[in-house]
Amino acid sequence: MKNRIRDLRAERSWTQADLAQRIGVSRQTINAIETEKFDPSLPVAFRLAKLFNLKIEEVFLDDQ
Amino acid sequence: MQAHDETGAYRDSIETTVRLVIWTLAWVATLALARFGPGLLWDSRQPVASWAAVTANLVVGIGWIVAFARFLRGQDELQRKIMQDALAITLGAGWVGGFTYVVANAADLVVHDVDVAVLPALMGVVYVVAVIAGKIRYR
Repeated sequence: MKNRIRDLRAERSWTQADLAQRIGVSRQTINAIETEKFDPSLPVAFRLAKLFNLKIEEVFLDDQ
Repeated sequence: MQAHDETGAYRDSIETTVRLVIWTLAWVATLALARFGPGLLWDSRQPVASWAAVTANLVVGIGWIVAFARFLRGQDELQRKIMQDALAITLGAGWVGGFTYVVANAADLVVHDVDVAVLPALMGVVYVVAVIAGKIRYR
């Protein structure tokens, strides 16, 4: 699933490790989500959206 | 349960990993005791000591299973997916490999007897390789 996490993270000058720590997952998970190799669970997706003060559909884009 | 605060998830993960390592070492130690104890540490004709060692290995093994389940629950979702994929491959390899050996042996195709310990050892190798492959895949 396409997402804007890399851009949103870059806007805040956070590293993948910074974001991972804020969300409570591993850095590898953030990297896998950013490279669209792995779709996060709903709780993690909601935590990401909440952290960026956005709606979940503004972070994750339906590519179908 | 995995904490969702900034540091809790890491703390939980480290704790469950340390516990798993301790249980694994304990299990290997009791396995070695049960395997090599008779004859080396006590007379192999003393079944009480041998039964005690085997029972200790079984009990510690159950503890290891519980520790592994907690370790799995303590991982974040991607790590858990990698582990679960590796476990599925390991189970499949053990199942298919085991039954292939059984039917080959029944058909008298196996020339040399294979030690039963080869199967869990093989499954261990498959699991480690599958975990490494998963880590590389989602790197």
